[in-house]
Amino acid sequence: MNWEELDLNPRIIAAVKRANVKSAKEILSLSGPDLQRLTKLSKADVHHLHTAVAQAYCKRPPVTALQLLRGECPSLEPGHRLSFGCAVLDALLRGGIPLCGITELAGESGAGKTQFGLQLCLSVQYPVEHGGLGSGAVFICTEDSFPIKRLRQLIAQQPHLREDLPKALVRSIRFSDNIYIEHTADLKALQTCISQRIPVLLSRGLVRLVVVDSVAGLFRNEFQADETIERTRHLLTFSSALHRLSHTYHTPVLCINQVTDVVDGPNPGRCDFGLVESRVLPALGLAWANQVMVRLMLRRLGGCVTAGEQSCIPRRLEVVFAPHLPRDTCLCGVWLEGVRGVPLGEDTHGEPPPPQQQLLPDGQVRTTHRPAAGAEGAGDT
Amino acid sequence: MHRTIASLPLAPSVKIKLTSAGFDTCADLKDLRPLQLCKEAGISQEEALEVLQTLRSDDGAGVASHAGGAGAVSGGLTALQLLQKEHALGDIITFCSALDSALGGGVPVGKTTEVCGAPGVGKTQLCLQLAVDVQIPVCFGGRGGRALYVDTEGSFLVQRAADMAHAAVEHCRVVTQDAEQQAALKDFTVENILSRLSLVRCHDYVELLARCYLLPDFLTKHPEVQLVVIDSIAFPFRHDFEDFSQRTRLLNGLAQQLIQLATEHNVAVVLTNQMTTKVWNGQSKLIPALGESWGHAATQRLILHWEGTQRLASIYKSPSQMEATIPYRITEDGFRDLAPPPFPTAQPTSSGPAHSVQQRKRPRMEPLPS
Repeated sequence: MNWEELDLNPRIIAAVKRANVKSAKEILSLSGPDLQRLTKLSKADVHHLHTAVAQAYCKRPPVTALQLLRGECPSLEPGHRLSFGCAVLDALLRGGIPLCGITELAGESGAGKTQFGLQLCLSVQYPVEHGGLGSGAVFICTEDSFPIKRLRQLIAQQPHLREDLPKALVRSIRFSDNIYIEHTADLKALQTCISQRIPVLLSRGLVRLVVVDSVAGLFRNEFQADETIERTRHLLTFSSALHRLSHTYHTPVLCINQVTDVVDGPNPGRCDFGLVESRVLPALGLAWANQVMVRLMLRRLGGCVTAGEQSCIPRRLEVVFAPHLPRDTCLCGVWLEGVRGVPLGEDTHGEPPPPQQQLLPDGQVRTTHRPAAGAEGAGDT
Repeated sequence: MHRTIASLPLAPSVKIKLTSAGFDTCADLKDLRPLQLCKEAGISQEEALEVLQTLRSDDGAGVASHAGGAGAVSGGLTALQLLQKEHALGDIITFCSALDSALGGGVPVGKTTEVCGAPGVGKTQLCLQLAVDVQIPVCFGGRGGRALYVDTEGSFLVQRAADMAHAAVEHCRVVTQDAEQQAALKDFTVENILSRLSLVRCHDYVELLARCYLLPDFLTKHPEVQLVVIDSIAFPFRHDFEDFSQRTRLLNGLAQQLIQLATEHNVAVVLTNQMTTKVWNGQSKLIPALGESWGHAATQRLILHWEGTQRLASIYKSPSQMEATIPYRITEDGFRDLAPPPFPTAQPTSSGPAHSVQQRKRPRMEPLPS
């Protein structure tokens, strides 16, 4: 810290230099009496020192909420969100996922979480006026390999998903060029990725979305049951790095999480978030939950839902908590063209006919042409 | 009053000079001016001043009023004066009338209150609600003040603040009865509410410490600010800290600064804390984060928690209120009671908005059946 820049009596600055104090952080971390002892200054002088250093450290004055609402401070409140590309899902989240902060999507295996991640990687590439951010995405895989076939399928089907956009626009974007895929098999690789490679991509403006699939994978596997403290420490380092990146570059971070089973009844030592009837809870416990700003849960339901000629197993997307959203749910399905919400009033059948849409292990979606009971023969997809 | 000079905390030479000049007890020195004492006892003027100040601070309130303004240090207040002062300061309502009555009116101004809870239980919602409620005009039962919101987690979303402000304005519009309230309502609009809510964002603990050093000046320049919210104080202190003793030291210093701020500038300071799991005798339970010593930091502690699907607010620690647990809910209008009290009848009620809540306009959205 350059002490000369501070608006202080030169005598105080000289005392600070003599005491060999190097940074503003040191000054602010020491209490008044400690600084007095260190610099041999009087109480009033130390008070001036604290105030001057604090003023130099905090350059931004307070802003009013009205200024934020009017969009006068885009660095604090960007004023828009990252859309999913589906009106129903966006309505659930009041516009889409927020640009600053960690959004978590938790669910059982096969619920369709990776599909959400892939869809966001595509929707981020549209310009801002169409709900995107005009930039690419980085997808960090910690468990399985990246579902490249499914991504290609989704890219091919984008015009069908985004029917509200001009076809020329959709065709002009080279989607696969802007998605950066990172495979991190262990914690060390993940930390290198987050601390070195992703900041480079972000600072060059190449990406404006980070998807981590999944968070639980590494942290559950690498630590034994009794190493909770160690695990928590790594988890906090990881999440604070993501948090910092998200706020510095106004980049949404989507973390996909697994779930754990709830075997005992209500447990006072575990927070249920009010999800009493749920058999599963998001993994990684309270330490991780404290870092998350928006928590979403995805559940597979029974039955089947149709839209046009396709039908699939319905999922329920629920907002568990968010600062700006009520506890709400919506039905959605994983279709050929991507994840789309089902507005209330669409056809939902009670009895479970054999599934028409299958989510394969490699992430690809295969349609089978078995007609539902009593329906007309389904056409070719 | 009858204390001997020899027992006063003064330099021995001064004491000898005083006693040799004929002064024995404090009563002898009571009515003297410094210059008179100086001449009588043969001590210097500074020493005379010091003697008289020691005398006054020793005697407290009685002598302070007696000695008038000349060089008197602020003597202590009597308990009655303190009670009157506390009543004058008042409380900030939370719009949940059950919680307000359990707290003795609301979140007290001039004290620090800590709100602890698991993620999603409603801490930020309560803080936003208070930031809107502090601005309710005095004729409606509010404080007519401003608020400063220090956000360390990035969870302040202005959309939500605007929703709550809108609901508060609507509520006041419904309960408006006389001309004074109508006049105040003209000024109480969503834009004005948001313009009186200042936001500061801190990205790490050093920035938070720096902001707290700047708060006294800010509050002196903006005396209308009656609420300072720090949401949350736990977040920046829970990672990147290998040295826990340093963390404890910093937190203690911060706590003292905030208490001083609250009393000197007559603001309510509300802090948000996270929860952590503690394993005790094989059982685990949730306790507030930041350690044991932080438990002593705030004057009052509220713990928000779930019990099944019901959200509960427990007054965990308070010097003046009884321990109580109150159910509440979060609606799209903000922090509210569990069930809305009945619609107010035609007779005007004298109490403020907390006792005459209007029915909500839209029902809460229920989860879809699976």
